[in-house]
Amino acid sequence: MFASKLTRRGAVSASAGLALALSMTACGGNVADSGAAADGSEFPSGPVSLTIGQDPGGSTDRIGRALAENAADPLGVAIPVVNKPGANGALATKEVAGMEPDGQNLILLNASLITITPLAVSEEEAVSLDDVEVITGISQDDYVLVANADSGLKTMEDITSADKKFNFATTGVGTGSQLAQALLFKQAEVEGTDVPFDGGSPAMTALLGNQVDLATIQLGEAMPQIEAGKLTPIVTFSEERNQYLPDTPTAVEAGYDVPVSQYRAVAAPKGTPEPVLAELKEAFTAAFESEKYKEFNEQNLFTPTQIDGEQLAADWKGYAEKYKALTEEYGVDLGGEK
Amino acid sequence: MEFFEPVINGFGVVLEPMNLLYCLLGVMIGMLIGVLPGLGPAATIAILLPLTYGVEPVTAIIMLAGIFYGAQYGGTITSVLLRLPGEASAVVTVFDGYALAKQGKAGTALGIAAIGSFIGGTVSIIGLTLLAPIVASFALDFGPPEYTALALLGILLVATVSNGGKLKSVIAAGLGLLLATVGRDGFTGESRFTFGSLSLADGLDFVPIAMGIFGLGEILYNLEQRHNKVQAPAKVANVWPSRQDLKQSSGAIGRGSVLGFFLGILPGGGATLSSLAAYAMEKKRAKNPERFGRGAVEGVAAPESANNAAATSSFIPLLTLGIPANATMAIIFGALLIQGVTPGPQLVANDPELFWGVVNSMYIGNILLLIMSIPLVGIFVKILRVRAAILAPITVLITLIGVYTIRNSVFDIWLVIFFGVIGYLMKKFGFEPGPLVLAFVLGALLEENLRRSLLVFGGDAAGFVTRPISGVLLLVFLMVIFLPLIQSLFKKARAKKATNTDDPSRKNEKESV
Repeated sequence: MFASKLTRRGAVSASAGLALALSMTACGGNVADSGAAADGSEFPSGPVSLTIGQDPGGSTDRIGRALAENAADPLGVAIPVVNKPGANGALATKEVAGMEPDGQNLILLNASLITITPLAVSEEEAVSLDDVEVITGISQDDYVLVANADSGLKTMEDITSADKKFNFATTGVGTGSQLAQALLFKQAEVEGTDVPFDGGSPAMTALLGNQVDLATIQLGEAMPQIEAGKLTPIVTFSEERNQYLPDTPTAVEAGYDVPVSQYRAVAAPKGTPEPVLAELKEAFTAAFESEKYKEFNEQNLFTPTQIDGEQLAADWKGYAEKYKALTEEYGVDLGGEK
Repeated sequence: MEFFEPVINGFGVVLEPMNLLYCLLGVMIGMLIGVLPGLGPAATIAILLPLTYGVEPVTAIIMLAGIFYGAQYGGTITSVLLRLPGEASAVVTVFDGYALAKQGKAGTALGIAAIGSFIGGTVSIIGLTLLAPIVASFALDFGPPEYTALALLGILLVATVSNGGKLKSVIAAGLGLLLATVGRDGFTGESRFTFGSLSLADGLDFVPIAMGIFGLGEILYNLEQRHNKVQAPAKVANVWPSRQDLKQSSGAIGRGSVLGFFLGILPGGGATLSSLAAYAMEKKRAKNPERFGRGAVEGVAAPESANNAAATSSFIPLLTLGIPANATMAIIFGALLIQGVTPGPQLVANDPELFWGVVNSMYIGNILLLIMSIPLVGIFVKILRVRAAILAPITVLITLIGVYTIRNSVFDIWLVIFFGVIGYLMKKFGFEPGPLVLAFVLGALLEENLRRSLLVFGGDAAGFVTRPISGVLLLVFLMVIFLPLIQSLFKKARAKKATNTDDPSRKNEKESV
């Protein structure tokens, strides 16, 4: 009986695999309406898989899945999402970058992997934009500096005039949260210790419990506690005010040169033919305009930002250089005290 | 009233047909693997983990929890009928359970065990319902220093309290701590023991380790052990215990339930430890302790109540603080993470449906088990005849496919095989896998929080002692270290008076988690 139960449950995954295989063949026949690729072969020649280098359930994963769902119809084939978490997405990015450049395999990129992670890890673990073709930018997710409401801290002036040492929680080493906060406090000449946590949720819990004085976390994560009045937003780190926190100034407005956000993009392996990229871009554009995708972004407090691939690549390279220059100028070492 | 609202909503969650079905499935699987010697709940949960991926988090955890406490019921059956404990936590039940069976009172033993298990489980759930929110309300006071102290205490207890050889447990725990250091350092970004592999950059994942060591390792080990088991089960008659038996065991059930509840909360505690403790306590209290081992109903009632109570209460530290108390809880911890739920202080407040859904499912599960355990005894005994040659390859296949599906990573399959071999060798040479796995989980927690605390304190370690909660925990830590030393000094003094203090309840100890 135990055996039969196990086989039955085993059969569920087996049949799922079978269903996938079936859908692959089914979609294989559905390419008549798609344009021909530059090298003469048909695109798409089957489901286009989107690899995500983060765990399922996180914000990167949810954005990727929402996008894939809404771009499948315009593209005419299914876009299955494959999670390959590891090394902040470097593992998945390197894997996809090494695949056949035919547009059948895409990767969801986090800007922090390109712009910030290299500041914290060794060279061979970092990923370069030169290995991929960026198709389009998809969203922007802002960081917000928050304090426990009990602390009475409301503005940057409160912090600079407090004349005390602050402990500030970050979402981890080599993240935008760490970079933004470290740069801000150096520029503001506030003495502080950077305490890395394993993600946004534990960082926020520590702040709620007054274990630390300040934290920088992603806006979507902080919002419920901000609305509940338990956390006070001090600044956001975007270049413009965030639409969901219109009354909170940006760090730039407060007089500090710290433009840090989490940007995301979809990319294909280097060498993917131009017409294929164009077709993919068209499908994603259609997804951006769909009501469902807009609704998803509003519900999750994400800011969809569609930027042209080339423009984005230039932007990200600009950020990477800027962060490097800023960290050198202010003596910020994301690797911590080694 | 405010307190009870989410509790009652939790029942609404459990009574959804899907959740009821998975609860039933969980307790059935639990009972089955409880009957099968060797394959423990930790292994089963590890193997079935990837299959829960497609269902809602609350449904998944309801099923996995059902496996855990269901196994406590099932383990009794073979203890009584075959003198073969299906679970480590049913080892002590063998002494009096099998003696009763030989006297033709197998039914009585099983009946008392089922009733004791039910009462123990239920008492513990009520305790959990009342205590968990209180613990959770303190949870925000749990900062890095408190977690450091708790992890330290947990590792110490795991390494010393578990019932295998102490030295071997410490070695296994040490290995677990070492494995926890693999990967990119979360504070400096430096790579440790990754050998340039990006697959190791995030460290070793908990799931392949658990699946390898518990799942594959146990299967390999059992293949080697299985061939020597052909025994005719004893006949089962009059399952309902007599009024006199009930009266005789009621005290034992009550004490066992309470003891089990408290031991279950302790890190490193859990079902096995509490069943041993409950048996020892009953024997100590009895007017004529020589009855024990010769068919005393209390000897079945106490450990069975205690192991079920402990199985339930070990959910408290997991669900309120995010700290697994034993190896099985560590795997459920992994299951929650896979589902995108981080167990911890915020869980009760942020996700009351999940929290109370899981807690309340245990009431239902225990009722189901009580109903099932008595009439279905005969069927479960038949399962013992399923040949390992059939069962083992299927289980291995499911394990390997399962681990691949979690992260779509072939590397993880190799990890499972590697740790499967390690797990097999460990069992073969008498090392417990439990301390390794738990130390692996707690080791990461310990290191991160220790370093985080020191950052917060500005490098001044005095903060660990001056903060009340971490201070108390560290005091307990010291007591655990020094109490046995003091006790052994006393014992030496006493040994001069009486030389022979043989304790039969300690003879057959062995744990397979």
